Amino acid sequence: MALLGVGVGVPSWRLAAGDIATAWGGRGGRGSIAVCGPDEDTLTLAWTACDALLAETGASPDDIDGLWWGTTRPPFAEGPSWSHLAATLRLGPATVGAVTAGSPHAGVEALLAAADAIAAGTVAQAVVVTSDALLPGTGTTLEPACGAAATAVLLGPATDDAPAVIGPRAGRWMPALDRYRGDHEDTTRDVYDGRLFREEVFLPLATDTASALGTDSRWSLPDPDGRLGGALARKIGTDQVVSADVRKALGDTGAAAALTGLVPALTTPGAAALLAFGGGRATAVGIDVRAAVPGAERAVADLAAEGTPASYAQVLRARGQLEPAGEHVEMAVPPGSAMFVRGNAEILGLVGGRCVDCATVNFPHSIHPACLGCGGDKFDSVPLSRNGTVQTFVINHAMPAPFVAPLPLVCVDLDDGSRVMFQGEGTGAELAIGSPVDLVLRRYAIERGVPVYGWKVRSR
Amino acid sequence: MEGALEVTGNPWNKVAVVGAGLIKMGELFDQGFEDMAKGAYDAACASVDHGIDSSAFDGVFLATQRGTLWGQEGIAGNTVPSAIGLSGIACTRIENACPSGSDAFRVACMAVASGVHDVVLVIGVEKMRDKSAEEGLLARAASGHPILTRGESAPVLFAPFATRHMHEFGTTREHLAAVAVKNHHNGALDPYAHFRNEVSIDDVLASPPVCHPLHLLDCCPQTDGAAAVIVCAPERAKDFTDKPVMVAGFGLATDHPYLHEKSTFVGLPATVLASQRAYEMAGVGPSDIDCAEVHDCFTITEILDIEDLGFCDKGKGGPFTADGNTALDGSIPVNTSGGLLAKGHPIGATGIAQLTELWWQLREEAGDRQVALRTGYALQHNAGGRGSGVSVVNILNRV
Repeated sequence: MALLGVGVGVPSWRLAAGDIATAWGGRGGRGSIAVCGPDEDTLTLAWTACDALLAETGASPDDIDGLWWGTTRPPFAEGPSWSHLAATLRLGPATVGAVTAGSPHAGVEALLAAADAIAAGTVAQAVVVTSDALLPGTGTTLEPACGAAATAVLLGPATDDAPAVIGPRAGRWMPALDRYRGDHEDTTRDVYDGRLFREEVFLPLATDTASALGTDSRWSLPDPDGRLGGALARKIGTDQVVSADVRKALGDTGAAAALTGLVPALTTPGAAALLAFGGGRATAVGIDVRAAVPGAERAVADLAAEGTPASYAQVLRARGQLEPAGEHVEMAVPPGSAMFVRGNAEILGLVGGRCVDCATVNFPHSIHPACLGCGGDKFDSVPLSRNGTVQTFVINHAMPAPFVAPLPLVCVDLDDGSRVMFQGEGTGAELAIGSPVDLVLRRYAIERGVPVYGWKVRSR
Repeated sequence: MEGALEVTGNPWNKVAVVGAGLIKMGELFDQGFEDMAKGAYDAACASVDHGIDSSAFDGVFLATQRGTLWGQEGIAGNTVPSAIGLSGIACTRIENACPSGSDAFRVACMAVASGVHDVVLVIGVEKMRDKSAEEGLLARAASGHPILTRGESAPVLFAPFATRHMHEFGTTREHLAAVAVKNHHNGALDPYAHFRNEVSIDDVLASPPVCHPLHLLDCCPQTDGAAAVIVCAPERAKDFTDKPVMVAGFGLATDHPYLHEKSTFVGLPATVLASQRAYEMAGVGPSDIDCAEVHDCFTITEILDIEDLGFCDKGKGGPFTADGNTALDGSIPVNTSGGLLAKGHPIGATGIAQLTELWWQLREEAGDRQVALRTGYALQHNAGGRGSGVSVVNILNRV
C-alpha cells in the first residue's frame, strides 16, 4: 500500500501549561499545548490537513473515492461529521469511507481501514485524516497534556516509485479502563490510577505490540502524559523517537498522535513505524520510507509554527467551558431548517453558479435564481477559487454574545473573478485593501447545539 | 419681487402637504408605541393652519420597520388607527427597511394622485428602546443568512464603504468627523433632536471604535420616535392652509442586497437611480435644491449621499463637508434637523421626520435652523436594507 503524500493541520492557539497550573493553585507546568481557537475544531483541523495534502500532492478531489477520518471528537457525536468533511473537500457523491471514533486508537483504525479497502480493490485512492482536539476536565492532570492537531495522508495501490509503503502491522488488546468518557459526559476523564495504568496496562501492552512488529525503526510513540513516551522508548530499547519534538510542541494529540508524530520520519528514506494506543488497544504499523514523501517538508514546518499565545480564560471560552452570563442571540435560521438543507452543500463546498450567458459567478447559487449580472437563469456549478485580494473590510467591535470582538468581515475579490464576503480570521490587524488572502474552513457557531461551518478570510 | 422664488423645472405637483409634526425624539421609556403614534398625529393635526378634524381623513399609511422591538410586528396596521382615534379608517402598513417612512409617503402620494384617497395621514412610528441594545440593532449580527451575514450588525453595512472610500479618495476620519460635528451643531438647534449637544472633531476621533473605521460618534443612536405628515389633493389644500408645500417628485430604486454583490463600495447605486427618477419627475437637478435631509445613519453615509445625489463630485464628499458647503449657511445645507446622527433614527419615523423638517424649511418656519431659500426645492432621502438595497428620494417644493 503506497503512502503518496502528507499534510498537517495545527490549531492557531498555544496555551502555557503554567497558566493552567496557576489557575488551579498548582505548581509547575512545563511547556505549552496547541489548542483550538473559538472557530476551530476537529473538522476544521482535518480540513486544513487535507487541504495541505491535496495542495502538496496535486491530487484532485475527482481522483479520490475514499475518505476515512479518525478522531475521538467528531463534531457531531452522532450526525453528519463525515459528510460535512467530504463536502468541504469537494469529494464526489459516490465517495465511501467512515469515521472511526471511540478512543485515541481511532486514528490507526482509520488508516488500516483505508489501506484494507485499497488492498481489496474497492477504493482506488483514499484520504486518511486523523484529527483531535481533546476536551479535558478542567483542573485535571490530563488538561496540561491535551493538545490538538490533524494529519492527513493519501493512500493508493503500491507501485515501484511510491515514496513510502505501508508495511506489516501488529496489534494487542486488553479490556482495561484508561482515558474514559461516558456517553453523557462532555469531558474526558484522566486514567483512574497513574501507576496502575503505566505498569499494568500501557507499558506491557505497548511494548508487546512493538515487539510483535519486530522492526528496528524510527518510532512514533504514544505519550499521553509527557513521560510515558520516554518510558516506552526505554522498554522498547529505541533512541529513535521521531515523535518527541512534535509531542513537546503540541501536547498529546490523541487520535492524531500516531500519524502526526510520524511526520518527521517521512522527510528522509528509511524504516519507520507508528504505535497507536487507546481504548485498551495498541497497534503498530511499519512504514518503509523510500523517498521524501510529498508534503512532508511543509508538514514539519507547519508543526513547528509558533502559534498565537492564548490565556487560559480565552481557551476555556473557546472550548465552551466558560460562558458569558445573559442571553445569547440566536441565529435567525435554525441549523436544522430547510435553508441549510437547500444551501449547506454549496456553502461547505464553496460552489457558485456561473451564468452561461455572461459568465458572472453567483454565490451562493441557491439564493440567485436570476443572474446578478444579466438576469439570466442558466448556470453551471463551479467551485470558487480560495485565493484572492481584499476589496474592502471592517472590524466589528460591537456585537452581543455569542459573538466575540473584534470580528473582521472581509469582502474578497477571488482570483477567478468572483467576489465573496466572509468573516476574517483573528483580529484583522493584518488586513489592507489589495492584500492577498485565502479562504479557510472555520466553525462559525455552535447554534442550538449544532456546529455550523463556513469560510473565513485569512491574510496570506 | 422681494422674497419671490424662481420656480424651475416642471414639477409633478399633484399632491400637497398641508400638515407635519413630530414628537421629541429620544429614549422614550415613558411612552409606548401607541403613545408615540398619538403624539405625532396630534402634532401634525396641530400644524394645520386652518385646523383639521379626524373626520377629514380617509386613509392612513403607516411606516414601522422593526416591530419586533415592541412585539407587534405583524399587526401595527390595525393597532395604530385604533390607538390614535381613527378606528375604521383604511390603513396600510408599509415596511421597506430604513426608507419605510419615505416609501409610505411616496405610496400615499400615489394613492392621492390616483384619486382613490383624498386626505391621507402618513405616519411613521418606531420603538427602538423597549428592548435592550443587545436585543435591538446589535442582534442583527445573528440575522439573515447564517453564514453570509453572520456578524453583520448595522455598522457593517456601511463601514466597508468607508474603508474603500478612504482608500480610493483619501477621505480621512477627520472628514467623516466633520459630518458628525455639523449635524450635532444643527441638532443642538432642533428642539426635537435626541442629542442636543455639540461635538468636536477630537470628540469624534477619540470616541470608542464600533466597527472599524467607524467610531461611536460616527454612528446614529437607537432612538424612539414618531412623525406624521398630512397629504391631500391640491384642490383640497386651501381648506387647510394658505401655505401648502407641493410634492415635486419622487423615486425609489433597489440594488443587490448582499455586500459581496455590490458593484461598488464608494457609492450607493440605488441612491443614484432613485434620485435620477425623482429629479426627472420634478424637472430639476441637484443644483436646484435649496436644502436636503439625507440618510446619515453613519457619517460615511452622508458623504456617499451628497456625492450620489449630485451635490458634489464623486470622491469629494469629505472635503466638501469639511469646507462647510453643507452647513446651515453653506451652498447646499444638509441635515439641518441634526440628521439621524443627532436627531435620531427611529426607523419607520425617520423619513417622515425628515419631510417635516423640509416642510418647515420651505414654509420658513425652521427658526434658528432656517436656511436661505433660492429656488424653493428641498430633497429628502433614505437608504437602507441589507447592503442599502433600497433607496428613496422625495422632492418637495414651495409654490
